[in-house]
Amino acid sequence: MSNIAAPRQVFQPGFRSVMTTPPPRFLARFCPSRRLFSLALAFVALFASPAGTAHAELRDYNMWWTPKAVTTGGHEIDLLLMVIFWLTLFVFIVTQVTYIIFIVKYRQRKGVKAVYSHGNNKLELIWTATPAAIFIILALWSDREWLQLRGKAPDNALSIDIVAYQFGFHVRNPGKDDHLGNYDQLWIEKGTNDFGVDLKDPTSRDDYASENQLTLPVNRPVNIILRSEDVIHAFYVPEFRMYQDILPGRKIDWVWFTPEKIGHYALACNQLCGNGHYNMQAKIDVVSEDDYKKLVAEKSANAEKARAEQDKAPAATPAPVAAVDVPAASPSPSPSPTVAPVVAALGR
Amino acid sequence: MSATPVLSPHGDDHAHHDAHYAPGFFGKYVWTHDHKMIGLQYLFASMFFGAISGLLAMGVRWQLGFPGKPFPIIGKFLPHNIVGPDGAFLPGGYNMLVTMHASIMVFFVIMPLLIGVFGNFLIPLKIGAGDMAFPFFNELSFWLFMLSGVIVVSGFWSGEVTGAWHHLTGSSLPPDTGGAAAGGWTSYAPLSSDPAYNTTHYGQSAWAIGLFVNGLASIAGAFNYITTIVNMRCPGMTMFRLPLAVWSLFVTAILLLLAVPVLSAAAAMLWLDLNMGTTFFSGRNGAGGDPLLYQHLFWFFGHPEVYIMILPAMGLVSEIMPVFTRKPIFGYRAMAFSMIAIGFLGFIVWGHHMFVSGMNLVASAVFSFSTMVIAVPSAIKTFNWMGTIWKGSIRFTVPMCFCLAFVSMFVIGGLSGIFMASTPVDLFIHHTYFIVAHFHYVLFGGSLFALQAAVYFWFPKMFGRMMNDKLGYWNFWLMFVFFNLTFFPMHTMGLAGMMRRIADPTQYEHLRNLQPLQKFISVRAFGLGASFLVFWYNFFWSMKYGEKASSNPWRSTTLEWTLPSPVTLHGNFPVTPRVYHGPYEYSIPGMEDDYLPQNVPMRDVKRTAGVEIPAH
Repeated sequence: MSNIAAPRQVFQPGFRSVMTTPPPRFLARFCPSRRLFSLALAFVALFASPAGTAHAELRDYNMWWTPKAVTTGGHEIDLLLMVIFWLTLFVFIVTQVTYIIFIVKYRQRKGVKAVYSHGNNKLELIWTATPAAIFIILALWSDREWLQLRGKAPDNALSIDIVAYQFGFHVRNPGKDDHLGNYDQLWIEKGTNDFGVDLKDPTSRDDYASENQLTLPVNRPVNIILRSEDVIHAFYVPEFRMYQDILPGRKIDWVWFTPEKIGHYALACNQLCGNGHYNMQAKIDVVSEDDYKKLVAEKSANAEKARAEQDKAPAATPAPVAAVDVPAASPSPSPSPTVAPVVAALGR
Repeated sequence: MSATPVLSPHGDDHAHHDAHYAPGFFGKYVWTHDHKMIGLQYLFASMFFGAISGLLAMGVRWQLGFPGKPFPIIGKFLPHNIVGPDGAFLPGGYNMLVTMHASIMVFFVIMPLLIGVFGNFLIPLKIGAGDMAFPFFNELSFWLFMLSGVIVVSGFWSGEVTGAWHHLTGSSLPPDTGGAAAGGWTSYAPLSSDPAYNTTHYGQSAWAIGLFVNGLASIAGAFNYITTIVNMRCPGMTMFRLPLAVWSLFVTAILLLLAVPVLSAAAAMLWLDLNMGTTFFSGRNGAGGDPLLYQHLFWFFGHPEVYIMILPAMGLVSEIMPVFTRKPIFGYRAMAFSMIAIGFLGFIVWGHHMFVSGMNLVASAVFSFSTMVIAVPSAIKTFNWMGTIWKGSIRFTVPMCFCLAFVSMFVIGGLSGIFMASTPVDLFIHHTYFIVAHFHYVLFGGSLFALQAAVYFWFPKMFGRMMNDKLGYWNFWLMFVFFNLTFFPMHTMGLAGMMRRIADPTQYEHLRNLQPLQKFISVRAFGLGASFLVFWYNFFWSMKYGEKASSNPWRSTTLEWTLPSPVTLHGNFPVTPRVYHGPYEYSIPGMEDDYLPQNVPMRDVKRTAGVEIPAH
């Protein structure tokens, strides 16, 4: 009886195979010639060198890490981020170093056969249970933080109303009464009533609007109310560690944070929203409490004056929408899309 | 032996007949029923789509590294809804680039390469069957796939086509600025579904139709694979003697069958919204639709899809690693069960794409939990691969180099995923370049590296020639180095606040500071693109001039290596094989050869020492 009976004839040695030849020098195992290796090394060195970054005029900006967190919630997120970072870095180093040691140590060697082993159930159990435990702890911690970060805003929070549109942000601040006038998605009329404000509500008279500009007092909780006029946009400020999609037809009122550092930041739309998306941004100024009070006094006086003038000329005022409790009775501002909006869209 | 029942449709009786059957060019290369040729059809088709998609990626990197500068050489020749008159990308054109790059890569490169090519080529060969269960549906699936690819890509010329139609017929079709879909590969409604907001009406419609047709192809493929694996295994091939590549494709096929119809539904609804005035996904007052519905449907498909794109890659790597360590795979059953676990859990984690979408906050917390749990089976697999090389005898062939790189890159991609699974951290890094880095590590460093390994490994079985080693090592090192230089810095860029899908980062003060890094990445990305030229050159050169391969050049154990290279017979096996043990019997103590093919019974082997091999 031969060594292997039937299929012997189909095992031609053929290919001058790494499978049958004796092991080569270490380097030559994965690189056929020394010249090639040094060439490749030179090539890698050329491209790996930070040549592209040499002329960077790096000011105090660290492009290799996160910007500083400037909100209270941001620090909690940073803590979690750092824990995960060090944990994954540890696992990364341990696994990759072990892996490389294995690769070097267990390379093909003359006269050394691979160990015949189909596995080890004890080991399987260990490396199932350990990551599972770590992941579950991480998940529980994350969920706790999450529900706190996204919980109800404190009672003394400053409410600010944002309506996003293609391509910008309408911002409405409460005036000196510190209270946003009553509003609803159904009352929005583009151009005349961008926020859907109930014009009959007396607390709405001192609210003032601004375009692509958000001014916040420092050290006071801010509750941002997010709505969209058309497509999905997003509220994204890296320094605030805050991202939230803004959906049309839905009011999102759980975004809140406490800015704790005076400065200028950028609010960016971070959900692809059309051709102008790349530049849909707003300025955020975090100012001292006194500055904020001054600003509010000035702006809400202007707003009240404007409203008073509007009242004097009733013809120009859009009819305030009253009946809202019955959705069926409310006029639908937009008919279902037909060819007409398609043609209208060409103007964009 | 002769008494074994014949399970293949082209078994003993037909094999003789088939040997004399000589189909013409059309019957052999265009409309064939041979699973091997269909696999090759998929291979060439997805290489073609890959070239297109790779070029789109180069365009994306050009615009990010050098915003507003004309795209060199070909910029001037691109359609004018993508570039301005000077050849620099327009913001809308950039949106088309990112959308189409991702859509083509996902649906027309990675999926067909993994499932179309290696699913078709390997399943019947590895399980000892003559062909797929439904050869006609197999071929139909390929041509539906081709059709869908052409439809999706044709979106780029939709402006020209509809303009010509308008001109010729004087029809009242609304004219369109034209261009391909530009709403991201996820095409979130209502930007994509509402004609008032969508600026690429026809491109988006083509995208929706294309994905629908592609869904049909996937479903036809999936039920074919499932039936084949369940019914057509040769005698002795029990489920736990299946090679792991077949296991992975089996789980993948089930995922496809359950997930893809949901995408088809979403695409159909999107198309109706866009063209028929329905409002499934509209956020308008009183329209009764919901934009979040689209996201739920999309990601209910989209998350299993993520695993559809990595499971077969894991299977292929598990197949190649034992060959070049000359050692049985570590923990065969753990590997198989973890794939089943991934398949199951893959259906209950879709919400982690939607933590900050406006979905219910408690739902986010629940999805975060399930997402952390799904990381466990992936960890198990990684440890098992490391266990496989432990005390092995590693041969650093080109496919093995790619496999080793796969495991390493997959570890990085997996670890960066933990950041996003944690909801509060996701609040910060959602939709930044961190996630771009993450999924490129999994899809490129993971799936594509595994695919490179698989092409180098099975090339002799496909074309009867070896791929060139020297070019292969060049290919590997260039790709490995440039891949890491391109995608690793994206992690820190994401942490620094760089957003996804921004046509011109210099519009933002804090992103202007990152511009040197952007340039760095772009230049390396061009190097990465160039490394594919080495692969292409090697592929086509070796097809013609490569060294002739023996039937089993890698001295491997599975059934396809018992056949000549290339496998010429339609019906594969002249005699239906019989399988006696598991697929990874290497280095059995006391045996002269260091491998034992699946179809050789242990009793026929002369040994100096007796060691029990598991019967499975």
